[in-house]
Amino acid sequence: MNPALEVTGLTASIGDLEILRGVDLAVPFGEVHAIMGPNGSGKSTLSHVLMGKSDYEASGSAKIDGVEIMGLPVDERARAGLFEAFQYPTEIPGVSLDELTSEMALSNPDDDGYAARVDAASDRLSMDRFRGRAVNVGLSGGEKKRSEMYLLGVANPKVAILDEIDSGLDIDAVREVAAMVESLRSPGLGVVIITHYSRILRYLDVDRVHVMVGGRIVKSGGPEVAEELEGAGYTEYVVRST
Amino acid sequence: MTTADTIGSSDAAWMAERRSAASTALATLSMPSPREEIWRYLDLDFDPGLAAAATEPGDTAPPDAVMSGWEGSFISVVDGFVVSEGVGTASASESEVALPDDGDLFSTASRAFAPGAALIGKGLLDTPVFVDVQSTGTATSFPGVHVDVPAGSDATVLVRYRSTTGEPATVVPTVTATVGDNARLTLTVIQDWNYRTRAMGRGVVSLGRDAGLTLTEVGLGGLVGRLHLDVDFVGRGSHAKVYGAYFGEEDQTLDYRYFMNHIGTDTRCDMFLKGAVEDDALSVFTGLIRIEESGQKTESFQTNRNLILSPGASAQSVPNLEILANDVKCGHGSSVGPLDEDQRYYLMSRGLTPERADRLQVHGFFEEVIDVIPDDSVADWVRTRINDKYVTAQQEGRV
Ligand SMILES: Nc1ncnc2c1ncn2[C@@H]1O[C@H](COP(=O)(O)OP(=O)(O)O)[C@@H](O)[C@H]1O
Ligand SMILES: [Mg+2]
Repeated sequence: MNPALEVTGLTASIGDLEILRGVDLAVPFGEVHAIMGPNGSGKSTLSHVLMGKSDYEASGSAKIDGVEIMGLPVDERARAGLFEAFQYPTEIPGVSLDELTSEMALSNPDDDGYAARVDAASDRLSMDRFRGRAVNVGLSGGEKKRSEMYLLGVANPKVAILDEIDSGLDIDAVREVAAMVESLRSPGLGVVIITHYSRILRYLDVDRVHVMVGGRIVKSGGPEVAEELEGAGYTEYVVRST
Repeated sequence: MTTADTIGSSDAAWMAERRSAASTALATLSMPSPREEIWRYLDLDFDPGLAAAATEPGDTAPPDAVMSGWEGSFISVVDGFVVSEGVGTASASESEVALPDDGDLFSTASRAFAPGAALIGKGLLDTPVFVDVQSTGTATSFPGVHVDVPAGSDATVLVRYRSTTGEPATVVPTVTATVGDNARLTLTVIQDWNYRTRAMGRGVVSLGRDAGLTLTEVGLGGLVGRLHLDVDFVGRGSHAKVYGAYFGEEDQTLDYRYFMNHIGTDTRCDMFLKGAVEDDALSVFTGLIRIEESGQKTESFQTNRNLILSPGASAQSVPNLEILANDVKCGHGSSVGPLDEDQRYYLMSRGLTPERADRLQVHGFFEEVIDVIPDDSVADWVRTRINDKYVTAQQEGRV
């Protein structure tokens, strides 16, 4: 069986700035992985390059369930099954969440499950009062994350990348987000959580932890890797990689 | 309230005198020059057809889609002539007070030729009024609408301009309103001429003490769709919300010159215009907030945002302030640019095709203004019209 996500030799740069220097990563279906690393190590870049943001020169391979997505436009990657929950979700003034989800359905006519997933995700995440409001406009940090999790539920991807889903949240909100992520775990989905704190991992069982420093994955292991980092921080890796 | 009631004999004499003076003055006037600030950016190299001014109304066209959901009364003005039963025209003195003589060719021609503005006042204002202003052929016409909101009352008026044929014409429309003390006026103006018609519009609204105005202008049609608007905040505590939405395509010019004149103390204005242009269209917004020495405690803000949807399209956006009082709050913002890349990326990351992503962004851009149009069925009609224009341009590869 294909892994949900398989990344090999992924590089990315902007002008002379090399940001990703050869990332290899495999996330099997049904698993939740964490990518940890200090600020500026390239974590958000990884998720944007996978999603196809045009700012970067990228090379290498990324497959969703065996299908190569590098080179595809952003929307085709989404329809191939990739979902990025943004660290800073963009505000779309004048467009309600309901309008967005109905356009998502219209853009993907082969999938007739949108209406049912809108109802289910809306119930599960208590989204009723947000659905008529403009996408991400005037929402608190926690509400934005919730809204992203809602869209993830509606999109029903094969791979979900959650970028700093825990940043800027108080501890209760972190717990809540952790529970939402936990409830995503399913045989048809691979999840990647990007974070620079190990905090959220206390409330969440992850299968593997990858440490990213200087645009490379420098260590991969079980949940114990996060515990080590909590004690020692990234110093060891930063020193080694420079 | 018939024509006979409002134009008494002395009034008629005054009007005749004013007409003849204007005709004389007209002989010495030529087209305004784009070197004058108020006409800047405009192509004024055309014949306004003053020799062919309409002398009678053409055939009245039947109601159309935008009128079907309207709950209120209708008044028709055809080629400048009020054709509805029981609707009079503003008296000479009312017109004189409501509409200043700008001294230029169009203002003077209007004084020489306009048959008289449809008078919408007490009695007619009990229900919302839809004024259907039609241009039926090539004749130059001078339609006027004068709204007189008595003190303490509430009025809703919509003025919709349209061409009933595809013929080119010059139209010099005027909208004037006096809003009495403690009165409120909700005025919506929809400019929907055919793409061969040049409309050189003029508007003046005067607000009494604590009077309120919500004015929304929707610019859709016209080879030239111009509105030179003054809102005079005369009464203490008078306040207005001035909204605008315009969408230009082909070789249209949509031209807005907005002057907010704060004369009374404690007055407040929020102005918010949004426009988009595609193909070779041009939009112009020049806004002036002028606060007189007497206008202390005024708060006045203006924002104009423009989307450029094709490489050949352009927008001029020039907000200005002129403040003679020292205890006021003012601000202005303006922007001209293409669709937002971050929004497109975000929407596409949710699986939207680029076409749908851009359509949704354009829809959202206008929603902040369309959402405030007081009549839901009119708002829906405007929404659909703008969406259709953009979708057609997408399908034809013009954006
Ligand atoms: N669009 C961009 N333009 C310029 N520099 C960028 C851009 N995106 C990322 N970078 C740079 O790449 C490096 C990695 O950034 P990022 O991927 O955001 O790191 P992280 O998410 O791990 O904090 C940083 O040095 C950042 O400044
Ligand atoms: Mg980041």
